[in-house]
Amino acid sequence: MINPINIGSIDDIDEGEAKVIPSDETGTGEDIAVFHAEDGNFYALNDNCTHETASLADGWIEGTEVECPIHAAKFCLKKGTALCMPATQDARTHKVEVSGNDLLLYPNVPAEPVEA
Amino acid sequence: MALASVVIAGGGMAGFTAAKSLRAKGFAGKLTIVDPEGIPYDRPPLSKDYLLGHRDAEQIQLIDAGWFADQDIEVIESKVVDLDPEAPAVTLADGTVLHADKVVLATGGTARRLPIPGGQLPTVLELRTKQDADHLRQVLQPGIRLAIIGAGLIGAEVASSALSFGASVTLIDPVDPPLVPAVGEVLARRLHQMHVANGVKLVTGIPTEISVDASGQHAITLADGSSILADVVLVGIGIVADTALAAASGLDTDNGILVDESQRTSHPNVYAIGDTARTRLSDGTLLRRAEHWEHAMNTGETVAAALLEAQLPTHGASWFWSDRHGVHVEGVGSMLGDGTLVTRELDGIPVAAFRVTDEGLLAGCAAIDGGLLVRAARRIIDKNKPVNVEQLADPTIDLKKLAR
Ligand SMILES: Cc1cc2nc3c(=O)[nH]c(=O)nc-3n(C[C@H](O)[C@H](O)[C@H](O)COP(=O)(O)OP(=O)(O)OC[C@H]3O[C@@H](n4cnc5c(N)ncnc54)[C@H](O)[C@@H]3O)c2cc1C
Ligand code: FES
Repeated sequence: MINPINIGSIDDIDEGEAKVIPSDETGTGEDIAVFHAEDGNFYALNDNCTHETASLADGWIEGTEVECPIHAAKFCLKKGTALCMPATQDARTHKVEVSGNDLLLYPNVPAEPVEA
Repeated sequence: MALASVVIAGGGMAGFTAAKSLRAKGFAGKLTIVDPEGIPYDRPPLSKDYLLGHRDAEQIQLIDAGWFADQDIEVIESKVVDLDPEAPAVTLADGTVLHADKVVLATGGTARRLPIPGGQLPTVLELRTKQDADHLRQVLQPGIRLAIIGAGLIGAEVASSALSFGASVTLIDPVDPPLVPAVGEVLARRLHQMHVANGVKLVTGIPTEISVDASGQHAITLADGSSILADVVLVGIGIVADTALAAASGLDTDNGILVDESQRTSHPNVYAIGDTARTRLSDGTLLRRAEHWEHAMNTGETVAAALLEAQLPTHGASWFWSDRHGVHVEGVGSMLGDGTLVTRELDGIPVAAFRVTDEGLLAGCAAIDGGLLVRAARRIIDKNKPVNVEQLADPTIDLKKLAR
């Protein structure tokens, strides 16, 4: 079993916002962005855009997508799919769980497919 | 009859996007890209990360080379030298004739040369292809005197990149500051001053002649009689759309291959997209030809929909970015035209500019390191949301909130 890390309260991230969990806490060697999407749910992707270098947490969150702040590639927050150019590589997903008021992040555990 | 085959001449951003979108939309027919440069790559890094050596040729490919085989897209490394719209067919440099139901021209353009004595000298460099960037990187030795003519997007980016090679850079432009149409006067001035702050020498003047002596030293003469000496000269004054093929086969052209809103040329079998295409509206109005990356992508998507007779996608206000001296510049819509220009300042430094129409609508916005500000502005423009000039000028107002 991989132990989740408690990344704080659900109230820390407003809807439409995101927070970066630095690599020294994620243990994956990479920063992870945790998004509070406009469907009310929380999702996590590797923070660095798969195109060049940009923090997706600084991106534009709309619905369940995030648009990269540098060249506007879009990613699906649920599955990490690269939805448009210039990104051609999907972003890696990580499982996020809400437990009471707490947000639990499972680094390197892919998000379970969410039914639309 | 259903579409069975498409040939795309040119595999830049536009041609590549057309191929990718055709497959994404379910087109299973024969799909061919012809490009003398082979596997499609991205041009914006040529003046930035690729020139600097931070990313290599493989890293600037638009997609892994293997993807084309996976998608059953043939990439032929050759040039289209003749077009027969009626057949329809294209002829390649080696004489091969390729027939297809539809032909898409995505041939981009070539760097514009200066129409002055010496403007055609082979030692006067340009930057449009990977090969151009490789050559430039090679000559950018520490201490070299680089003169760049044209301080628009590419010229400014190369000036910035060249500093890190230890080059001594002179940037020449007839106007001061350049880029006003793209970002407005106030930001244009701040950006231009950044060159000086970073050690680039700015010269305002009109080059009238370039000469080179036996030792390889160039002299650029300006209209005021002064001259600038340089070891390397680079000209970045925009592109000339590649219309020769289209014109020779009788298609309508006018500083671009003329297309309708579905990217169709004056011949129903031929479409044109990207930098080479220029839109002619149904009432005959010619739009300005765009030379931006996103426009190439958008028109690639549109042509795929048009070829498959699907609904055409709608694209919002035009958008571009540029990177120089460690800052990220973005612009959306148009800063040129009537209305009020609004500046947003942070600690006395202009960070964003807006153009608001007399009807109170946002028409254009540009920002330096503006984060999501331009993305917000873009949504405000596309949704036709009325804006308030005081709010736009106030740096404490998050534009994101206004866009929702
Ligand atoms: C150095 C540089 C930096 C840039 N930076 C930015 C930026 O920061 N932001 C931005 O928005 N835009 C930028 N641009 C502009 C952007 O790259 C272009 O708008 C975009 O590449 C246009 O795509 P395209 O596919 O229409 O044309 P191109 O990319 O020019 O592709 C055309 C292709 O057609 C091929 N071709 C030509 N003739 C033939 C023929 N007869 N047969 C077959 N193939 C042919 C060429 O080999 C080429 O590969 C930059 C451009 C350059 C050169
Ligand atoms: S860095 Fe994200 S799209 Fe380019």
